[in-house]
Amino acid sequence: MSGNEGIAQGAYEYGVRLASAYPGTPSTEILEYIGERYPDIKAGWAPNEKVALEVAAGAAYGGSRAMACMKHVGLNVAADPFMTLSYTGVNGGLVIVVCDDPEMHSSQNEQDTRNFAKFGKVPCLEPSDSQEAKDLIGEALRISEEFDTPVILRSATRVSHSMSLVETKPRTEGLRELGLKKDPMKFVMLPAMARKRHPVVEQRLKDVAAFAETFPYNKVIMGDDSLGIISSGITFQYAREAFPNVSFLKLGMVWPLPEKMIRDFASKVKRIVIIEELDPFIEEAIRLMGIKVEGKELTGLCGELSPEKVEKALTGSSKAKSIGPIDIDVPLRPPNMCPGCPHRATFTALKKNKVYVAGDIGCYTLGALPPVGMLDNCLCMGAGIGIASGLDRSLGDLARGKAVAVIGDSTFFHSGMTPLLELAYNGGSTTVVIMDNRTTAMTGAQPHPGTGFTLRQDPTISANIEKLAEAFGFKRIRTINPYNVKDTEKVIGEELEAAEPSLIIARAPCALLKTERILPDKPLKIEAELCKGCKSCINTGCPALEFVKIEEPKEGEKRKGYSKINELLCVGCRTCQEVCKFDCIKEA
Amino acid sequence: MNKDPYNLVVAGVGGQGNVLGSQLIGTVLVNQGYKVTIGETYGASQRGGSVMSHVRISAKRQYGPLIPPRFADLVIALEPSEAARVLARYGNRNTVAIVNTRPVYSIDVTGGAVHYPETNGLMEKIRSLTSKAYFLDATDRALQMGNPILANIIMIGAVSAAGILPITESNLEKAISEVLSSEKVSVNLKAFAVGKELIASQISRDC
Repeated sequence: MSGNEGIAQGAYEYGVRLASAYPGTPSTEILEYIGERYPDIKAGWAPNEKVALEVAAGAAYGGSRAMACMKHVGLNVAADPFMTLSYTGVNGGLVIVVCDDPEMHSSQNEQDTRNFAKFGKVPCLEPSDSQEAKDLIGEALRISEEFDTPVILRSATRVSHSMSLVETKPRTEGLRELGLKKDPMKFVMLPAMARKRHPVVEQRLKDVAAFAETFPYNKVIMGDDSLGIISSGITFQYAREAFPNVSFLKLGMVWPLPEKMIRDFASKVKRIVIIEELDPFIEEAIRLMGIKVEGKELTGLCGELSPEKVEKALTGSSKAKSIGPIDIDVPLRPPNMCPGCPHRATFTALKKNKVYVAGDIGCYTLGALPPVGMLDNCLCMGAGIGIASGLDRSLGDLARGKAVAVIGDSTFFHSGMTPLLELAYNGGSTTVVIMDNRTTAMTGAQPHPGTGFTLRQDPTISANIEKLAEAFGFKRIRTINPYNVKDTEKVIGEELEAAEPSLIIARAPCALLKTERILPDKPLKIEAELCKGCKSCINTGCPALEFVKIEEPKEGEKRKGYSKINELLCVGCRTCQEVCKFDCIKEA
Repeated sequence: MNKDPYNLVVAGVGGQGNVLGSQLIGTVLVNQGYKVTIGETYGASQRGGSVMSHVRISAKRQYGPLIPPRFADLVIALEPSEAARVLARYGNRNTVAIVNTRPVYSIDVTGGAVHYPETNGLMEKIRSLTSKAYFLDATDRALQMGNPILANIIMIGAVSAAGILPITESNLEKAISEVLSSEKVSVNLKAFAVGKELIASQISRDC
């Protein structure tokens, strides 16, 4: 099982009754597995992580065991409920699964979630493989109920997306009585009540720290006493592979820390090194105890570690001797939009209008890469509309008619609705393009509130973006098929000229979606003799197009080459046909 | 297997069935009692980027998911330039490589911005980075069978015939029905047989 499968299995075995999440790599598959495999668990995608946590909190208030899952930056969105949930506590066990992404395989930053545990005064557990991922869900729920606190389970890409063996067990139910229970002193955080809760939170943290001293997943493995490594999670695996014979203190709970256990371990070894990815979280806490340790001066603050990096950090060299410099000279392979992607059509039309594009997070972020190169900023989920609004209103004529915000449908429902409302409310002339491809494409096609389907593919409402914008007060709302690139270009041009906020919904299903198919799935063909080699089609960045160089030009031949369509890849979206000035792209 | 842990890298391009291939191999070996760990990176790389799975096989213990540089024993590459890229980092003088010959061009190559390495030179480079390299026209044969995605199973057939990993028709059949579904067994077993057949001539040449 992968770590994410382990987490889902843990939710099942330890009696989780409700799970909620918003997709985000590397956490997405947890809720997908729950949806597919465990009908006993009520589960659904939330529009964003804040809502997911609130839904899970509600379930826990009512006595159910509950889980919310998100990627590391998702906890930023959920930070508001998270910080005060620490004060109210829970009732049924509540575990917040947060998957960090050291090395940023699929993320915009590599923030370290352990800081949030400390910030919110909430316990944090960290598994190092799939078995522990499952087991620690059980421990998190037990700790949550025993100490009346939400608990973070911090995973990382290399735990969530790695597969190792897991032993499974039957399901057991949570211990709390289910039902609506009135207890305003605990659950209504008015200042007077919150003032009473804060000391409870501080005492709770001390109690959990005392519990951590005997927590079985905090364990000492004594070996050679010349070196003692303190580590947790996936980095423990790396350290143990690099130094199989030294002494280890492996922490399954990284907040709060077991001070006595650490002091005792420190007294038994000659040198202590903390091996942890990203921030010096454990290191700083242990330095505050007055214990001399080494850590980040050896391992660094950025990116993920590996057995090799740990070995080099401690010894200055590695067993993995280089076999000499190798010049392989193979081209890099950056990701790009798929053949037939509707975003490519929209970007092509935006490019013709020579606009500045405030971007957002989704497949369309790849529009920043050459040869498309049409995304000028991308900050976080839902940021593009607000940024465009800020640019427009602060720059006035300098930006008027030149700045556009683009956002996908799932991201719009996640956190694009409030900035759209800001735009309607405060005015200006920003043009927003919602690239509605009818799914959450980047994370693997999860449904969302606009798709008409739930996590388990049951039919449900399909939120109407046009009506929503109308209700917000938008007067200029236009829905287009982006594959009609010339029309799309014209519509964008007209809306850019408008003196008030406007919304364009460029709607066409993701080219990978099997359900809502509008693409013909028949390849187009380029008549090689007619092609002038202008590369207009090539510059759309479609992987199904190839430029064939002419090595020996015929007499009088000016072109340097011609374009060709890869019939195995082309799905017939017509974007290239729309930009061809010489009418040489035809239906095959 | 002559080493513990035995380290396998499956390399390719997003969409080639890389992840599934490593999962099938892992399942076959787990069913034989090995402790297998698979490390993957997917996410943005699904959109036509390079993808790589690390498979670590041990009779003794569960290893971590990352193979240290230079420690790959076998590289299965679904694309030749990805073979070179992975071997340059993870290969050593004893590494064996099984390489699909069909190139997949990135858009920088198809658009004419950069050159894809010339075939013979690339094969020579791969040979120089391994103790033994097998080259198979797996995609061509998969296309003849009607679906290019079968190339990954053809490659597993080759691994089996080369006697590198204990994979047989019957244990793969069990893994396919566990990981995929029983309807998918028949076409995949045909691909497995094609892989065995494709590599046979190259093995007999070695003897």
